[in-house]
Amino acid sequence: MQESQLNKHAQRCLQKLLRIWFDFERKLNHVPILERLERGAFTQEDYLSMLLNLRQQVIEGSRWITRCASSFDRDFSDVRSSVIGHARDEHRDYEMLEQDYVRTGGTLHDIQSAERNAGTEALHAFLMYRASQKNPYDLLGAMWIIEGLGEKMAKSWAQSITERLGQDHCSVDFLRYHSENDDAHMQKLHTLLDRLCTEEHHIVTICRTATVVSKLYLMQLEEIDEK
Amino acid sequence: MSVFITSTGHHLPGPPIANDEIENVLGLIHGKPSRLKKKILRANGIVTRHYAINAQHETTISNERMAALSARHCMANAPLPLKRIQMLSCATSQGDRVLPGFASMVQAELGIEETEIHSAHGICSSSLMAMKAAYLNLLCGEHDNALVVASELASRLFKASRYEVLAEGKNADFNAEFLRWMLSDGAGACLLESKARGRCFRIDWIKSFSHANAYPVCMSVGMPTDATDQRSWQDFPTYTEAEQAGALLLRQDVRLLDNVVKVGVDGFLKLIEDGRTQPEDIDHVLCHYSSDHFRSRIFELLIQAGAAIPEHKWYSNLYTRGNTGCASIFIMLDEFRRTQRYEAGEQILCMVPESGRFNVAFMKLTVVDG
Repeated sequence: MQESQLNKHAQRCLQKLLRIWFDFERKLNHVPILERLERGAFTQEDYLSMLLNLRQQVIEGSRWITRCASSFDRDFSDVRSSVIGHARDEHRDYEMLEQDYVRTGGTLHDIQSAERNAGTEALHAFLMYRASQKNPYDLLGAMWIIEGLGEKMAKSWAQSITERLGQDHCSVDFLRYHSENDDAHMQKLHTLLDRLCTEEHHIVTICRTATVVSKLYLMQLEEIDEK
Repeated sequence: MSVFITSTGHHLPGPPIANDEIENVLGLIHGKPSRLKKKILRANGIVTRHYAINAQHETTISNERMAALSARHCMANAPLPLKRIQMLSCATSQGDRVLPGFASMVQAELGIEETEIHSAHGICSSSLMAMKAAYLNLLCGEHDNALVVASELASRLFKASRYEVLAEGKNADFNAEFLRWMLSDGAGACLLESKARGRCFRIDWIKSFSHANAYPVCMSVGMPTDATDQRSWQDFPTYTEAEQAGALLLRQDVRLLDNVVKVGVDGFLKLIEDGRTQPEDIDHVLCHYSSDHFRSRIFELLIQAGAAIPEHKWYSNLYTRGNTGCASIFIMLDEFRRTQRYEAGEQILCMVPESGRFNVAFMKLTVVDG
């Protein structure tokens, strides 16, 4: 996207969001399971627990997005349509993730009966709380982090996991799908940012939500090793 | 109190070496042409570079001598005699000797008496570390002038024989060969004074941000090829064994390289956020990107952030002078000063993202008439 397409508040907000992202990405390097992936010590068991833990967030993901859509009033009906479209695109994603889990050697029962980890619980609670506010434009900050993971990280994770575990011993369709499709979602997000971030206080709120979501997401990933 | 860059200079050893001549100088490893060479050269876009070694692998000029020649070139048109230099601040990634510090050796080459010296050690960004030390010395009134010199002689590490001593059955890995097609030799120098002299550059600020805590090592010398072997080159019983284990090869972990673009753009956005600069205020960008590939990655990210600086404002001589590590930014600034058009009041942003362990350094200059 060219800079001229964004209003000046949205542009400043995007710069701040990018910095929040860079900080988040650097902190991801310290998450134990990702650090093992980076240095080639990642096991099949690691991948299974990663999927098992992510599934709970993915399945809850469509809930906060649809809640978010319904919290936009009539003045934002265009935003509501866009968010509903996004929710529709992703609300069955967890099925792909479950298939990866089974193809990698897990059982459907295990992944479906797993509890949310402490980080997922906190992340989900925060997102549902924000989504329940009137016109929750700040959730653009949440989408920035979560879509960013798909667009910027999923491809390299899928690649490293396949290299480490071998193509015949793992299935990475969920990560691959997101790395291929979240680019278009990021474009939509830029459009929404231009539409919704039109005043100084919008920047502050969107960035605060992005920061909180990045911290809770890290916690969710760190919690994978807690079990 | 302000500090000004009142003169610059450079030294590039020997003739320019074209892409198809590189292996005539560095040699063929085990007599075979490299299979990676073309791919890497296509990505970095470098057309010519200079080497301080000849085809017989003899060093034609030492690192400290190159540094001294760039300093003399810098001082040639300065009204200040070399012997009045109060501080000499030098940078290199590897001097001719392991010890003493590089600045001691350069001082001796230049024959300056009783000067204060400073040696900055690191990779590409060490030149701006050396610059900052000198800048702050002048800024606080400790000295009235300083000579800052950065020099590199990387080609000695790329001689075919360095790769041929690897233990039997071991070939140079991609990460060890990568930099062979990236780096070359040269030196650059800047004279700093506390008074403006003619048309010169005022240093507005120098800032750097290091992210060594967040990333693994990306460019290094000193660890063996086998990543599970945690011994440093100094831990081996003999240096011969260290060399056979690949611990003396200069290595780049190419998988991590993209992060250098991110820390560069992140640093620039931080400077904008802190109010130190605005993209629209910058008239010239001198960025030490190691390769043309990264230039386009930087552009992509800056456009995405809405912080792009138009392409015509970017100046680089990477393609003809080569990537000379820490010397690059000074060699670039020197050629810019001598060959490009710039007017009083214009702002120049110098940027050096270093992949070593992810340090990014910036320097902002304003053109002034003294």
